[in-house]
Amino acid sequence: MSSFAGLNTALSALRYNRVAMDVASGNIANVGTEGYTRRTVQGVAVGAPDQPAMWSRYSGAGDGVQVAGIDRMSDMLLDIRARREHGNQSYLDIRQAVLERVESGIGEPGPSGVAAAIADFRAAWHDLANNPGSDAARSAVLGRAATLADAIKIQARNIESEAGDQRFRITADVAEVNTVASDLAATNRSIAVANLNGTDAGVLLDKRDQLAMRLSELTGSKATLRSDGGFDVSVNGVPLVVGNQAGTLSVATGITPGGASDGNPITYEITDSSGTTAVPSGMLGEIGGVTDLLNTTLPAYTAGLDAIAVQLATEINTQHQAGYDKAGNAGQPFFTYNPANPAGSLTVALTDPAELAASGIPGGGLDASNATAMATATGVEASYQRLINGFGTEVASVTRLAANQQVLTSQVDGSREQLSGVNLDEETVSMLAAQHAYEAASRVLTTLDSVLDTLINRTGVTR
Amino acid sequence: MPIQRVTQNMLTGRSVGALQTGLSRLAKLQEQMSTGRILNRPSDSPTDTTSAMRIRSSMADVKQYGRNANDGNGWLGQIDAALTSANDQVLRARDLALQGANSGSIGPTAREALAAEVDQIRGGLIDTANSNYLGRPVFGGVTSGAKAYDPTGTYVGTPGAVNRTVSEGSTIRVDVDGQQAFGPTGDSVFDHLDALSTALRAGDQAGIKASITALAADRDRITTTQTDVGTRQIRVEAAIQAASDSELKLSTSLSNVENADLPKVIVDLQMQQVAYQASLAATAKVLQPSLLDFLR
Repeated sequence: MSSFAGLNTALSALRYNRVAMDVASGNIANVGTEGYTRRTVQGVAVGAPDQPAMWSRYSGAGDGVQVAGIDRMSDMLLDIRARREHGNQSYLDIRQAVLERVESGIGEPGPSGVAAAIADFRAAWHDLANNPGSDAARSAVLGRAATLADAIKIQARNIESEAGDQRFRITADVAEVNTVASDLAATNRSIAVANLNGTDAGVLLDKRDQLAMRLSELTGSKATLRSDGGFDVSVNGVPLVVGNQAGTLSVATGITPGGASDGNPITYEITDSSGTTAVPSGMLGEIGGVTDLLNTTLPAYTAGLDAIAVQLATEINTQHQAGYDKAGNAGQPFFTYNPANPAGSLTVALTDPAELAASGIPGGGLDASNATAMATATGVEASYQRLINGFGTEVASVTRLAANQQVLTSQVDGSREQLSGVNLDEETVSMLAAQHAYEAASRVLTTLDSVLDTLINRTGVTR
Repeated sequence: MPIQRVTQNMLTGRSVGALQTGLSRLAKLQEQMSTGRILNRPSDSPTDTTSAMRIRSSMADVKQYGRNANDGNGWLGQIDAALTSANDQVLRARDLALQGANSGSIGPTAREALAAEVDQIRGGLIDTANSNYLGRPVFGGVTSGAKAYDPTGTYVGTPGAVNRTVSEGSTIRVDVDGQQAFGPTGDSVFDHLDALSTALRAGDQAGIKASITALAADRDRITTTQTDVGTRQIRVEAAIQAASDSELKLSTSLSNVENADLPKVIVDLQMQQVAYQASLAATAKVLQPSLLDFLR
């Protein structure tokens, strides 16, 4: 064993502890960085070679320390779980936000909704029945009827404009998916290169995880680890990113380039070098949530509203045509609508108050039996209550699910943070430990120096 | 979930999360406080929303029934007053007829005076029969004209019922057919008064006697009609009472479903405030220290 081996051992300790302090300093610097995963330095003692040369014998007592690697403290399983829960979370969150907005436009129960307008409309017919000769009472009926038609139209329009907004959101989200996917493909390439030439890929891996998480939030996609350290991402089983190649997600049907609805359900496809593949329905994430809203939830409510508009118009028209107006002529249809969009186009067909068929007998008298019948003609209230009840139940259920999912998501995030988060106390301690180790190694150097000084400069010197 | 490591980020995240939860609970209670309602949107309770909508609809109906019944009460009151007045006038005419019949010695001048008064009564009775309520003749059925009888005592109304809906599915007739109250055209009280006046002027004792009998029958008819009107008025008044009772009951039910229990909300609010302040204090304490505070 060489006389100077101790110096090298001390030097290795100095090097190792410098790295330990660097790592601690890096962790502290990134304590607030989004997506940062804490690193720990792994030291390994340098000792006897595993396979000494034949007949040789290792006589040292250890040759110090060296850095075996810098570990990134993450757990692949926890990451997969977190991506899944975040995908579910954003699916539910977007549904909750949109449905709550639609719900607040309904205005039930209260004095300004459709139910109140129906009650007012019937009351106006009662007043007309009490006073069939009065033009004021007749005008009141027409006014209330217009209010009722407007109340239904406003709801239909609210849903229509919400659907329009959400179609724009899909367009924006799809564009973001494609940007993130190509970023991920580029990151995959960099990771492969870094792994090949042996540089530290930690920052790239952090970025890879963040991009994969964002893709999951947007589409509920799944990421699988490649042997070169990158991620392959598939959306509902259709590959989007494979290695350093990113496909393009696009809307196949449902939205015109101008952002309007083309009448079909919204579907997606992914185009890559191998061609175009349709994405099966049932995506999660934000795009999945909005797609389900646009394909199922909002159309169902619109259909309910349409059915109510048709029922209202049919019942009122039938009864109105059974009566006779002020001049004694048979009643005309009261409401008109466009069958393609009943709730959005419901209007009062009559303009002249004298055309209201209050009388049940022809000839122009002041009989009011038909007005009384009109006041009780509509069974639409019960249908409307069912519609509102169904919608309210749906919103309540989504709100509950989103709250539950929030608990689950924050639990998983908590577990990840436990493993990957930076604790300042811990880092301070490891920094202090490295500092002291560094000081001790310096002291070793000093001691060795003095020993060698004694040996070289003082030994055998006589005065 | 066992916690193995705790990091500063976890502490911050949890503190912010807890503060948000506390704030959102506070916001919910604050909404209940400021609106005074626990039912602010359908999803707050879909079932209660349906109840509230049904109750509101019933309340609107009941209010309208009350208005209808009040209107009907006006009609029936007007008819009752008209019939009372008509009864008095017919009674007066009958007295005059008795005077004309009893006094054989009465001279042509006196009979002429009697006849003139009978003519006056007849004119007054036609006015009474044309009584109107809010511009509609109450004895004219569903006529769109302003009169039930023309000045000659001929019925010009249109027979037909004027009904008021006073409760779910129940209507009350609030007019009286003029011919039912005053007799059919040709045999009406106006024809009898006309005949009496003619008989008085002519000194036709047999005619006067016949008129007396006819007028007695007319009075009976008016009284019978008045009884019928009185019965209907009782029904209408009962309906008014029932409507106002139901309205009260329904508004109590609606309040039970929709409105917030204020003392409870206030206590809850206080509790949530305490919890919120506690989490604020905890956040302030927990975010402060780190090991660095205790090293030189």
